[in-house]
Amino acid sequence: MSAGKVLVVDDDPQIRRVMKATLVGHSYEVLEARTGEEALEMATREAPNLVLLDMNMPGMGGLETCRALRAASDVAVIVLTVRNSEKDKVAALDAGADDYVTKPFGIEELLARIRAALRRSPTGPEGGPRGFESAGLEIDFEGRRVRAQGREVRLTPKEFELLRCLVAHAGRPVTHRELLQAVWGPDYGDEPEYLRVFINQLRKKIEANPAKPKIILTEPWVGYRLAEPAG
Amino acid sequence: MKALRFAASLALVAAIVAVYRLLPVNNTTVALTLLLAILGISAWWGLAEATLASVLAVLGFNFYFLPPVGKFTIQDPQNLVAFLVFLVTAVTASQLSARARRRAAEAEARRLESERLYALVRSLELTGNPRKTIREFLNRVVQEFGCRGAAFFYRQADEIFRTGPESQPVTDHDLKVAAEIEHAAGEATGDRVASPVRLGMRSLGSLGLVAPLPSAHTVRAIADLAAITIEKARAMEEASHAEAARQSELLKSALLDSLAHDIKTPLTSIKAAVTNLLGEAGVADRELLTIINEEADRLNQLAAEVVAMARIEAGKLHLEKREVPVEQIVTGALAEVQGLRKGRPIAIHAAADLPAAEADPELAQQVVKQFLENALKYTPEDTPITVSAERKGGKIVIGVADRGAGIEEHERAMIFDRFYRGREHRFETEGTGMGLAIAKGIVEAHGERIWVESERRQGSVFYFTLAAAAGGKEN
Repeated sequence: MSAGKVLVVDDDPQIRRVMKATLVGHSYEVLEARTGEEALEMATREAPNLVLLDMNMPGMGGLETCRALRAASDVAVIVLTVRNSEKDKVAALDAGADDYVTKPFGIEELLARIRAALRRSPTGPEGGPRGFESAGLEIDFEGRRVRAQGREVRLTPKEFELLRCLVAHAGRPVTHRELLQAVWGPDYGDEPEYLRVFINQLRKKIEANPAKPKIILTEPWVGYRLAEPAG
Repeated sequence: MKALRFAASLALVAAIVAVYRLLPVNNTTVALTLLLAILGISAWWGLAEATLASVLAVLGFNFYFLPPVGKFTIQDPQNLVAFLVFLVTAVTASQLSARARRRAAEAEARRLESERLYALVRSLELTGNPRKTIREFLNRVVQEFGCRGAAFFYRQADEIFRTGPESQPVTDHDLKVAAEIEHAAGEATGDRVASPVRLGMRSLGSLGLVAPLPSAHTVRAIADLAAITIEKARAMEEASHAEAARQSELLKSALLDSLAHDIKTPLTSIKAAVTNLLGEAGVADRELLTIINEEADRLNQLAAEVVAMARIEAGKLHLEKREVPVEQIVTGALAEVQGLRKGRPIAIHAAADLPAAEADPELAQQVVKQFLENALKYTPEDTPITVSAERKGGKIVIGVADRGAGIEEHERAMIFDRFYRGREHRFETEGTGMGLAIAKGIVEAHGERIWVESERRQGSVFYFTLAAAAGGKEN
């Protein structure tokens, strides 16, 4: 039985070859595309479970492809980039990627990221709160609905899980590592920039003034803390 | 020509005398007619012709018309008056007309010179090469003004250009002296002139011409034109150099980017393949595959560092400065050395009220990472490592301290040089020797300081400073 259908998008044929050999060896079903355009077409036709997307491609670049994929479906996307620069990583996550891996990478790392990305909607803390209300924020965990500053906001699955984890520990600082492992999985823990991107997005959606957060507070050197509901 | 005019003048006077001898007219008519003739001769031909005609007219008038007719009578005062009137008329008229003629000739010459100047201006082609422009200019001057030779002393390059067939040109000495003249025009000596070529207060050199010379006025105009033309050529040359330099920088930058990409692409395939094989390899193969894997990592790091170093040396390091919490810089660096750390404890000493730094977050993080890497690589595994961050005035000082062997005093300055390795680590292959040089490049691009304090057998502390953000806020 297939572990999942993975679409490999890269303009370099050798990389596609090695990906195919490896992923097939780990019982994934592998599809290949050479360009962003081809990838979009194939994603619509074949409905893969995950897309491995090269950031630097001629024509429609990786970021644009990522946005287009995101607009069309909830498919898991891992961006592969040669530039180990935070700006690129943030751009990838902003474009809707679930994760990114810097080239060159060890195959174990990539497989772990693929497994984590495929493990969709990670289960939140068992017996966690079912609802939450605080300064301008209302969360219905069962209905996965969030109202902030009096209006309904749409959160991505990762943002929602991040918020759930913070709420479960409301009033206490949660370390970077705890947050990463709770939301992304046990293979994570050393990616503080993930948190920065997602916390920023979350703040933009739920804080009255994202530059002066009142709900999600930074605990310097430690992590983040959700302000305890007043009263 | 001259002789013909004398003959004609005499003939005219003789003709008048002969005609009036036959006609019954009074003496006054004869005298006035002769006067008219002399006026005409002096106006058209000149003083000499008119004077000769005057003498003949007085003699003729006296002999044939003044009584006693047929005889020269000098004593009669009337004779003297007539002679003087003829002479004065001849002189005055000839001078007046000669002046008018000279004026006309001058005006004509000036018109011609203006025309030539205009032709010179029009014939000059704009080039971005001052030397070529000077040569072209001299050729055109010789061509348009018909000078036998022209020379130019180009002061900036201390070079003399010459043209024209003249074998006895304006001397180098005269040209160099003329270049120093502060007022506008140079002086003509004999058949040559050396004129300063100035643009405002600045001397560009001098222009020498060999006869036939245009007027002093025109020489000055030519010199001014030379100044403007050469200056324009120089400006164009500078502009094109700047453009060429800019293009080459762009190309270099693009090459570096594509180099980084092109090396990493095959390395990605190699690393993915070898790590895949490592997962299922037996003991014998595992060792060899590990070597391939590690060397792929080294090549990758080498490529990254070569590109970083090249950027720093080309002054192309692009800083994206913003306010960044020191915490982010340090934790980011710690996360990056996670693999190398192998669980070794690293203590962090940071003031609680540390302000944010004004820096490029990624590059600042790279400096801390480099310090940490050095500490992790070059000090015993059981010794502690401490990261510190504190505020000193308007600066934030970040340090990484180890309890290793320390660095000899004479080596402390050199370890920030490219390819320098500590004496004891010289033959180890790990690393490229560029790490600290890159850190130094990054810190200096920020306009900040990097240094090391060390004591033998006590350990070393690597420091660098960052500007504290003006707002001084924590996050």
